[in-house]
Amino acid sequence: MFKRSDESLINKALNGDERAWQQLISRYQSVLYYYGLRLMGNPDDARDLLQDVCMVLCRNLAQFRGDSSFKTWLFGIANYRAMDMLRKRKPSQDLDDIPELYNEDEQSHEQQLYGSQTQKLVQQQLRTLAPEQRLVVELRFYQQFTFDEIAEQLALSSNTVKSRFYAALDKLRVQLEVTDVGQSANF
Amino acid sequence: MLDNQQIFEAWLAGKITAAECEQQLRSDSQWYGRFLAASSIQQDARAPMFDAVPQIDTSQMFRQQWGHKTTKTAWWPRLSVGMSAMALIISISPLQLQLQDGALALSWKQYDSAQQQQQLQTMLASFQQEQQQYLQQQLQNQQQQQATQLVMLKDYLSENEQKARRGDMLELVEYLNQQRQADWQYWQDNAQPSQARLDYSSSSYLPNRTINGVNKP
Repeated sequence: MFKRSDESLINKALNGDERAWQQLISRYQSVLYYYGLRLMGNPDDARDLLQDVCMVLCRNLAQFRGDSSFKTWLFGIANYRAMDMLRKRKPSQDLDDIPELYNEDEQSHEQQLYGSQTQKLVQQQLRTLAPEQRLVVELRFYQQFTFDEIAEQLALSSNTVKSRFYAALDKLRVQLEVTDVGQSANF
Repeated sequence: MLDNQQIFEAWLAGKITAAECEQQLRSDSQWYGRFLAASSIQQDARAPMFDAVPQIDTSQMFRQQWGHKTTKTAWWPRLSVGMSAMALIISISPLQLQLQDGALALSWKQYDSAQQQQQLQTMLASFQQEQQQYLQQQLQNQQQQQATQLVMLKDYLSENEQKARRGDMLELVEYLNQQRQADWQYWQDNAQPSQARLDYSSSSYLPNRTINGVNKP
């Protein structure tokens, strides 16, 4: 089936074509929601982030110049809004207060098949990272952006992005070792 | 030689496999630990998510921001396309647009079979006539071409014959000259001395002749 490019849909949307806009949003809606879910840690915040990003996107659609891919540009907006929301969050909010991302009662058979236990563990470890580090890990692994693209989105140098990325990995490495020791002790 | 960071980033970029990366980083505990942490996140990233995505009313946002543009769509390109399509249909179908007595009438032109037959006959006759004319023209051209070719052939042959005849004559003249030359030579070699001898022997009977054949005065 013929698939229109993002740029073509944007041009049509800018000329008032609502269907093109809906098509563009449906292309990135789930990606943005899961991004928010991992970064914010709960569905309500993820939903707010999605709505916020859609609103900003709609308002600034005409500013897309095509210098980078639409996805890179869109995540530039999403990153800014997500960081803003994370900073506004109450500093006293403890990690334990954040609801579980994977509610075992609501899990489907598919989720159980894909090793939800491992996913849960990784997600828990990711949530212990500083928001800036979590964002870099999210963009590198879950969104498959290169270091240069991440640097462009965050308006940082590529080296700064890499240092945040490796600091996050070091922290996760320590946690993994602790978890392994804990699991061995249980045996 | 690549350092550990380059090896790790090559694996992240998909240039080397996880097994290759693991093998090369195993000796360095820091980079090996980073590789293991990254592997577990990568595995998690590959796993699909099944959480329901909430529906957001983006239509409302769009209409508020860009909706006014929909009314600005120009009408004349559509009209132009419509008119072109109509003209195409009229020209292809038996529809006829006629201006009669100041009135524009759109009619469906129907042909009866007799009329169609007659038209067919007329067209066939016209075609036949055209073909005949063409064939006649072709025949004339061919004849003209043939005549020209014959004239050219005749010229060629006569010229060739003249050349051949001239050659023969030259050969004959040469032959005759050679004969004359041979005769002359023969005469000089044989006939002249004999003649001289004959003259000398006959002069002894002449009283006014000297020994060397000179007449006496």
